[in-house]
Amino acid sequence: MTERMRESLSALLDDEANELELERVLSHIAENDDLRQAWVRYNAVRAAVSGHQLAYMKLDISSQVQQVIAEQRTPSAAQTATSLRQRFLRPVASLAIAASVAATVVIGGQQLAQIGGAQSYGNSQAVAASASPVGLVNSLGATTVQASYGTQTVPVLRPATRTAYQQLARQRMQKYMQEHAEQAALNSPQGLIPFARVPRIRE
Amino acid sequence: MLQNLLGHRCLHVLLATMSVAMVGVASAAVCPGADATALSWLDKMSRSVRQVSYNGVVTLQRGDDMQVMQISHSVGEGTISERLTELTGQGAQVERADHPVACIHPGHKLLRVGADLQVGRCGIAQHYRFSVTDGERVAGRKAVRIRIEPRDMYRFGYVMELDRETALLLQAETVGRGSKTLEKFQFANLSYSGQILGGIEVNLVHEAQHPHPRTAATSAAPGDAWSVGWVPGGFASTDTPVGSSGRRTYTDGLAVFSVFLEQLGREIRPGEGVVRRGSTLSYTRGMHLAGRPVLITVIGEVPVNTARMVADSVDWTR
Repeated sequence: MTERMRESLSALLDDEANELELERVLSHIAENDDLRQAWVRYNAVRAAVSGHQLAYMKLDISSQVQQVIAEQRTPSAAQTATSLRQRFLRPVASLAIAASVAATVVIGGQQLAQIGGAQSYGNSQAVAASASPVGLVNSLGATTVQASYGTQTVPVLRPATRTAYQQLARQRMQKYMQEHAEQAALNSPQGLIPFARVPRIRE
Repeated sequence: MLQNLLGHRCLHVLLATMSVAMVGVASAAVCPGADATALSWLDKMSRSVRQVSYNGVVTLQRGDDMQVMQISHSVGEGTISERLTELTGQGAQVERADHPVACIHPGHKLLRVGADLQVGRCGIAQHYRFSVTDGERVAGRKAVRIRIEPRDMYRFGYVMELDRETALLLQAETVGRGSKTLEKFQFANLSYSGQILGGIEVNLVHEAQHPHPRTAATSAAPGDAWSVGWVPGGFASTDTPVGSSGRRTYTDGLAVFSVFLEQLGREIRPGEGVVRRGSTLSYTRGMHLAGRPVLITVIGEVPVNTARMVADSVDWTR
């Protein structure tokens, strides 16, 4: 996966992608395994964090997304697809598309985890090991998806688990911050200031 | 006598950096958008801490929280000694004595792109956009302001104010998405003399560590060695990674993040957690690597997106 593609992917996830980036991802996702797996992994963890409940959405959103894009691209607009002007003229439409693409892939990620037998999603091994019955990929003609996948309830990371991870991140900050500061103090412009970020300095 | 020696050394290095700056102007075309003046200030800033002695009071603001500390920094003959004393909060003191002037760590090397620009090695200018304007007055000193905007979404932006005379970093603001200030550090007062204020009650003294190259190279149990498969462009290792040791740290000269891996003795429900404090992020992710449950934590001054992608790329070394 190229650096550029990573950026586009990342932008899509944060709903910050412009149309060019969206098109870049859409045009490569069908033939690029790496990209597809990265999509699924990033979205699975993102969904875990935000706790989005997406259980009742259908899997065919992506075809709708493609349709929206197709409708938007009038012949004259297609010629200026790369112009800055166009990118600024239709930011709202782009965001909406990006959001629905993201939502589609989240569903794929969740289901993959389910197929892999994991108790909850976010398990990158299960995701990477499986074939890719991902909604978005399917709509681009890569694989067939069983209809039942879209109607099953999707496991969502339990609130208790989410809280536990939050706690874990807080504990790890306490535990590792000083070791990080030792390095930061030697490798950033502020000198010893990084130590002031350490919650509790140990001798 | 010492003062004379220092003065002489300063002049010498200042002349050297000025010539570097001029080379930069001539070659800006090689690296599109690289502001040679800004880059030469950055270069000077990274050298200033090896040239001038100073002490002063610094504030560090992170959200509602403000910490006040005293900094003293003295450049001796061939070595630098520095000390940070917290005047609020824990009241800890951190010291680094006799750090060799010649010992330049990767983060500072990355800030010195001057001579490399002309041969097309744009370094940090590839990842940030720099611009220079007149600065405010900070701690009674006239400053020059450098705006540093990231060219991608993997790092934060900065607004730095440098002393017009010495290029010392007087103030730095870390700017996140939506121009939000995440952290601001600044000198409240500053003196270039060597006098240190006394009478401070210190609760604890910590000696800052210094990496000892290659001495700690414990042999990793086969299969326990791990590596980070991806870091954003421009980030380099801060020290030689040691096989199975639990930490890897990377810097692009301005931002630093560390990756920690813990092997878990029992199963874990996969997931992730995020905690932020000012510009610092702690991102913890539980997952399986080749069937083995691990906890990966990324701590540093980077956006959550960067931390997530870095954690995602960790794997056993095969």
